[in-house]
Formats: sequence, C-alpha cells, structure tokens
Amino acid sequence: MGMSPGEGGAAAPAARFPRDLLVACAILAFCAVAYGITLGFAKAPAAVAQNVQPATFPRLVIAVIAVLSGVLALMSFRADSARKRPVRPMVVATAVMMVAFVIAFDILGFIAAMVLFAAAMPLLWGERRWRLVLPFAVLFPAAIYLVFVVGLGVHFDPGLLGIN
Amino acid sequence: MDAFLAAGAAFMDPYLLGLVLIGTVGGVLVGAMPGLSSTMATALLLPFTLTMDPIPAIALLSALYCAGTYGGSITAILVNAPGAPPAAATAFDGYPLAQQGRAGLALGMAAVSSVIGGLFSVVVLIVAAPLLARVAYDFGPPEYFALSLFGLSMLATISGESAVKNLIGGAFGVLLATIGMDFTTGVDRFTFGFWELSEGIHFIPVMIGLFAGAEFLTQAGQLDRVQVRAALDAVRLPGMEHFRKCAGTIARSCGIGTFIGLLPAEGGTVAAMIGYNEAKRWARDKSQFGKGDIRGIAGPETANNAATGAAMVPTLALGIPGSATTAIILGALLVHGLRPGPHLFTETPTLLYAIFLAMLLANLVFGMFGLIGAKLFARVTLIPVRFLWPSVFVLACIGAYALEQSVLDVWIMVFAGLLGFVLKRYGFAAAPIIMGLILGELVENSLKQSLIIFDHEWLRFLERPIVVTFLALTLFSALWPLVSVWRARRAAAAAAE
Repeated sequence: MGMSPGEGGAAAPAARFPRDLLVACAILAFCAVAYGITLGFAKAPAAVAQNVQPATFPRLVIAVIAVLSGVLALMSFRADSARKRPVRPMVVATAVMMVAFVIAFDILGFIAAMVLFAAAMPLLWGERRWRLVLPFAVLFPAAIYLVFVVGLGVHFDPGLLGIN
Repeated sequence: MDAFLAAGAAFMDPYLLGLVLIGTVGGVLVGAMPGLSSTMATALLLPFTLTMDPIPAIALLSALYCAGTYGGSITAILVNAPGAPPAAATAFDGYPLAQQGRAGLALGMAAVSSVIGGLFSVVVLIVAAPLLARVAYDFGPPEYFALSLFGLSMLATISGESAVKNLIGGAFGVLLATIGMDFTTGVDRFTFGFWELSEGIHFIPVMIGLFAGAEFLTQAGQLDRVQVRAALDAVRLPGMEHFRKCAGTIARSCGIGTFIGLLPAEGGTVAAMIGYNEAKRWARDKSQFGKGDIRGIAGPETANNAATGAAMVPTLALGIPGSATTAIILGALLVHGLRPGPHLFTETPTLLYAIFLAMLLANLVFGMFGLIGAKLFARVTLIPVRFLWPSVFVLACIGAYALEQSVLDVWIMVFAGLLGFVLKRYGFAAAPIIMGLILGELVENSLKQSLIIFDHEWLRFLERPIVVTFLALTLFSALWPLVSVWRARRAAAAAAE
C-alpha cells in the first residue's frame, strides 16, 4: 500500500545489531515480569483447582512465548535486519492527541471532547482551510450525536461542561 | 428445509434486506478506502450490532465482509493503493491496465471474477459447513484443544514479516485472554486491583485499537503520501475473449481460494497472492504479467473472494476462525449468546441459512454495484485523510465505549492502538493477537477439561486419533515456515558457491 517516499519506503542501511535480537530480549524481559506477576496469584484449594492452579495456564503460555522469543533471537543473527526509520514527530503528536481525547472524554464529556478533537486534529495534520475545518468541527459531532445518542441511544456522561 | 424457508421469509423483511444492502455498499466503500479494511469496519461496527437481533446483526457483518473483500480492488486498480491487503496482488496488473486507459476492463474483470469466486465459496459453505459440523459432533475437550492449537499454529503461515512473530502474537493474545477471573477457581489474574478487569479484557476494544487505533497512527506518519490517479474510462463488462482467456485462471483460483479459506487462520490475502502466482505460473505467455495482464486480476480477485465463504466454514462449524474478519464475526456470534460449533447447526439453523443468504445476496449486489458504480466508489479516495482518519478514531472510541458504556474500554482501545503501532513497526501483525485473544478461552478451558478427563496424564492425549492428527498438523504448520526459510537459505548459499 505504501506508495510514498515516507516511512517504510526505501530500504535503510543494515543495522549493526540485529533488530530482532533486541525485540526478542524485550519479549523475554516481558515474560520475566509476567511470570513474576503470576507468583502473586492466590492459590486455590486443591479440591477447587483440580490440580490446575490459576497460575498454571498463564505460566504455560509465558513459557511458550519465551521459547518462541529464543527462536526469534537465534534467527535474528541470520536475517538481514534493516534499521527502522525513526518515528515521525507527527506520529508522537497524534498519539498524545489520542490520549488527550480520552482524558477530555472523561473530564469534559464526550460531545465537548469531540468538538475540540474535530477542530484540533485537522489543524495538527496541516489543514489550514478554515472553511473546511469549522464546518467539520461542528457538523461531524452533530452527526455523531444524532446517530449514536438520538438514534442508537448510546449514553455519554455530560462531564464537567454538562453537555449531553 | 423449514429453517431455510424461515431464513428466506426473514429476507422478505425490508429491514433485513435494507441492512444487507447497507452492509454491501458500506463494505465496498470501506474496502475501497486505503487503510480501511473490511476487518476494521466489522470491528468498528460490531458494538453497534449488539442491540440488534442475532440474524440482522450477523447478516450485516457477513455482507460487509464479502463486499469489503471486493472493494479493495477498486483503489488497487485506480490509484495503485489497495483498499485492503487481499487486493494487494490485484494492483500488480490492475494499475498498469488503468494507466493504459483500460481501467474499465480491469474493474469489470475484478467485479465479475469476485462475484464468481464469492458465489462459489458460498456454495462450498452451504455444503461443507454442515458436513464438518457433523464430524465435530464427536469432538470432546481434547479434540477441541488440539484443534485450537492447530488454528493457532496456522498463524505461522499467514502473511506477515515472520512466522515466529505471528506465533508470538498468537500466544500473546492467548495470554491476554487469561486476564480476569479464572473460571474454575474464581481467582483474579493480572487484574492489578482493578475490579473492572475481573471479567477479563473484552476483545472488542482490543480489536478496534489494534486495527483502527494503530492505523490512525500509521496514517499520521504518511501525511505527505501522494497518490497517482489513473483516468477511468467507462466501466464495461469484459468480453467473451477475456473470459476465454481467464476461464482456467478463475477455475483454479476458485479452488485455491476455497482451500486456503478452509484452513484455520488463513484468509483472503494469502489466497490472493497464491491465486496471482498460480495465474502467472500456468500462463504460457508470462511476459505481460506486471504490465497489465487481465489474468493477473482474475486470479487474485477470484481467490480472495473464494476464501470469504470458505473461511466461514471452520468459523461456524468448529468455532475456529478462518481469517481475521471471521474471527470478529465469531466474536459477534459469542456476544450474541451463540456458541459456534456443531450445535449451532441444530439449535439455530435459521441463523445459518440467513448468513448463507446474506452472503449470496451481498455477492450479487456488490457485483452489480461494482459494474455500475465503480467510478463513484472510487471517489471515496477523494475524502481528505486529515478529516477521514480523525473521524475513524472518534468512531473507534464510540465503538469501544458503546459495549459497556465504560471509559476504561476506551482506554484499553487507545492503549491497544499505541501497542499495535509499536508492534507493527517491529513486524508483529494485529490478526494473530486477535486470533489468540478469541481462541484463548477455548484453549484454556479445553486443556483443563482434558486434563481432568485424563487424570493429568498428558500422554493420554496421544490415545485419541483425531487429537494425534491435529497435533501432527500443528507441528507441521508451525515448523514448515522455518523449514522453508532454511531450505531457501541453503539453496541461496549453494547458488552463491
């Protein structure tokens, strides 16, 4: 699908350290943490657990992930791993906006959060045509309100601004 | 027969008919939009079908699934940007044809071969699903455990950067499924003190996040992408000479797509790639492939649509998803209180016939709309991404929220989106995680029940022939990609010497 000269386009120079080895190490660290968490699971009485304690299955799955990570680590030395292009600042800004939207959703209420988001996102992504941005910021939330609140009966908390 | 008549009668209802039409048109539109796939659309739509009865809900999702698979070909041909992964192979010859001013021919062949593949697969679904369900009546927990392991092992062979990464993704999904209260002991696992997590992580917010949230971030990194548009002449049906040329390709791709679709976890993308490769391999004159050979459209388009109905066979008969989208449809069946598997065929046959009819209707309708309105559908690519993707993200938030009307689910969706983006950068696809999450409960429960039946003697799994067969297939499908890589490297090394 990528027809652009952007991210993931042309091959970057080969990495000095196999990228998948780092990925495998990160997964193994995750497995260690997850296993550590399973040590804190309560034990069920033998009659209830029927010899399968609550931690047994998750530990089995963690072990499978760890073994597969080991295979990934071994294979990483043979594979040609290209250095990934760094994440663009716009992606980070968009991720921040995603989180900000949910915070606003919780505090200001969904409708207010949606109006702010519908106005801010096109601006963040470089849209400067106000005759498009303003109608979008008003009409899109209005359409969502009509379809989901009026039509489908989805209830959103009014939030601090009390708009519902 | 009564069930079939009841399903047919249900389709006399303008409401149900209207829903299938909406699903079909919507499917073509989302399929045509690069980045928006039928998988994402079904994930986004699923929460809003919860208020519907099961028949309209599943019929709507099934129609969206069929039409979305076709819709991807429109933009693959016109703007060289496949609307969905199964249409990627269509662009190889579709776009060169469009550049030659023969976009109409390419779109016409895509529509006709998609309809043929789709209808063929629905017939296979109607015949094969009840037969498979009958076999599955004899399945107990050990068989289901081995079968679900086989389904997960097939993730190794689906498209993606690495077989091992797909398997890790599947296992990670199974681990996610263990979050919440253990059903046999009532002990909380991985809940971190949040009582809301005791019921487990619902797959819908995770799924929406992994598909829509991650794609939102991907699009943020591609805002400077420029799409080259090809001029579209009138959309016309391919002539008899084109059909004669493609008949063999279409017939082969019907078989390829159906076989690939029947395998757990495999879907339209793999089918389309094999369909394209086989079309090229069997052609006497291969010189025009990649430059605008009509068989390069007929092959993948027939195969990816033939995989749609076939992928529903294991989904409905065994409860093991045949593809990423059918995993979501499987989830829809579960949230509507239906347990896919052999009992579905005895308890709710009307629903099954309604699904068959919805898919048949969707195939006929998208074929008609595709021929008449491809030029119109292609205009969806004119929607500026600066407005489209923020809208998709808001819809994703509503979809996650609407399930339980809980902001925690929206947080889960956003977290899944961020995680999905990071995982995608490092070569992990979303589909295996979703498959693991959906199959996780079946894997754990069937394993526990089996261990109780076998009195914790693991070797007794090997006393049951069906279990042994599935375990052998599991081993084969998990190891085959590794063996293939090893053989390819040996061949390359030998060639270098």
